[in-house]
Amino acid sequence: MKYLTALLFIISPFVVQADAGRIFVTNEQGDSVSVINGADNTVIKTIPIGKRPRGIGISPDGGEVYVAVSGDNLIAVIDPENLEVTRTFASGDDPEAFAVHKNGNIYISNEEDAKASVFDPKTGALVAEIEVGIEPEGVAISADGHRVVVTSESTNMLHIIDVPEHTIARNILVGARPRAATFSADGKTVYATSEISGEVKKVDVATGEILGRMPLSDDKAKPKDVLLSNDGTRLFVAGGRANRIFVLDAEALTILKSVKVGKRVWGLALNADGTRLYTTDGVDHQVSVIDTSKLEVVATVPVGKFPWGIVVKN
Amino acid sequence: MKNMPIENTAHSEKTSKIPAHTTKRSASERSKSSALTLRRMTLALFLVTALAAASSYAETKTQDVRIAFLGEKGGDAWAGAEQGIAEANAQGKFLGLRYVLLQAEDADSVRGLSPSAVIAATSALRMSRLAADVAPIPVLNTTAEDDELRQACEANAFHVIPSFAMREDALFQWRRKSPDGGVRALAWHPLFEKYAAAQLNKRYTETTGRQMNDVSWAGWAAVRIVAESIARGGTSLPEAVGEHMRTELAFDGQKGTDMSFRETGQLRQPLLLVKDTEIVGEAPVRGVVDPSNLDSLGLPGCLK
Repeated sequence: MKYLTALLFIISPFVVQADAGRIFVTNEQGDSVSVINGADNTVIKTIPIGKRPRGIGISPDGGEVYVAVSGDNLIAVIDPENLEVTRTFASGDDPEAFAVHKNGNIYISNEEDAKASVFDPKTGALVAEIEVGIEPEGVAISADGHRVVVTSESTNMLHIIDVPEHTIARNILVGARPRAATFSADGKTVYATSEISGEVKKVDVATGEILGRMPLSDDKAKPKDVLLSNDGTRLFVAGGRANRIFVLDAEALTILKSVKVGKRVWGLALNADGTRLYTTDGVDHQVSVIDTSKLEVVATVPVGKFPWGIVVKN
Repeated sequence: MKNMPIENTAHSEKTSKIPAHTTKRSASERSKSSALTLRRMTLALFLVTALAAASSYAETKTQDVRIAFLGEKGGDAWAGAEQGIAEANAQGKFLGLRYVLLQAEDADSVRGLSPSAVIAATSALRMSRLAADVAPIPVLNTTAEDDELRQACEANAFHVIPSFAMREDALFQWRRKSPDGGVRALAWHPLFEKYAAAQLNKRYTETTGRQMNDVSWAGWAAVRIVAESIARGGTSLPEAVGEHMRTELAFDGQKGTDMSFRETGQLRQPLLLVKDTEIVGEAPVRGVVDPSNLDSLGLPGCLK
């Protein structure tokens, strides 16, 4: 018996340490960030963060989580291990969404300034400002880091920006109120959702040509986040007030399935191996966890008020 | 884009065309003639090249788009329209377009401006006459609420401000749900925050120092509708702009749904129900009708 206990003592730390990942969620009206344990879908901690947190992202090495605190005009930095806020830096007016470049810089959409601004989070220094259309929102970066796409909601455009020149290579008219966008793995295609026209568009980055367009079948759908599956074959779209996730064939843009989640689903995040899709169901104040092979909700996690953005630290 | 008249060989040949029965020219005359032709061809080639360079330069230059305005300069519709112009230019600069708002006093001065569209902030009678006088230039009504004006169903008349019938229907629906009196039905309200209304209200107040009301929202929306039609249709010609507005427009007026024009020329749109200074609801009223049924407000079709 003593021998067995001693053996368990040696084994158990490794069992507890199973690599599950943590999911970070901004609660827009809760003024906090909820941290979920990916292994058992329980909330580990709720971190107070400041007024109106929205966009959230993670540094390339996974060592820092960034939160756009829109109401305080700053980015807060969270240590994903000890779950403390380590520092903040000014981010320009009303930062809403942002994307993290593989060089560590953050590209932020400044909703009320018709600008995208680039910050070095190590120093808080402003690297560049780029004029875009009115009400910029979605920001995404190609895997090779050469291109950034910013959506401007009121001007109904996607702006393709060259990095590191930070000049606009192309402006593409899309459906009314484009919200989120994402690049294909090879950086040649952008997928974007338009809230008011209720559709997804597929765009050729080099020419600006619209390669495909799919209206979402629910006319209440006001789509927001869009993500490609790890293998690039499927597109996940958060359907807003349609209260479901639409799963599309990334090539043909046909709708393969829709998965019912909670109310007003906006944010999406995938874990590292692509087996789990996490959604922020804003009006239900919860996160839904979807098994991406079965396309079923396997858990719901109550979080703070009106969850908005979500990111997975693996 | 106007083409400059250029001298070319075809032109020279036409004017020097000799009828078959005249005498043949001498050898020296022929060689002088061919030297002249060669000079003319060289000149022509030079001019064609210069013109080509000039036209490609012209293509990269910004194109001016004129929108005429008939109504009080500095009034609410004008202020809303100017905000719309600034926002149209925020898109236009990426498309090589520069929008400008120009005041006009009457149909003649409107036509003189060769605008893509006219924004009217005037009485129903003047609006109706103006539409008839400047057709096919589209005229967008931002102030007159008369139902008869809509029922006239003029092809180039577009009504951005809601009609009396729409407001009455909104109130009727609201009272079915909540019988309290003292509620008004409005197109817009400065305290409206839902959808992207807060952003628009903030931009307008920061620029003008005013609060956006029905008429200033209509002035803003009218310009944004014209700009949207030009951007998507790819042309600023008034007939094409009107055609796009009638048949294709899906306009995001920052009220949460896309809006289009009915055959009466009325812009379908949600309305706000306001009591004192508080927004108490939206129409079409959920629970009474399907909120997406914008044709439940006002008369959807032309009766005649």
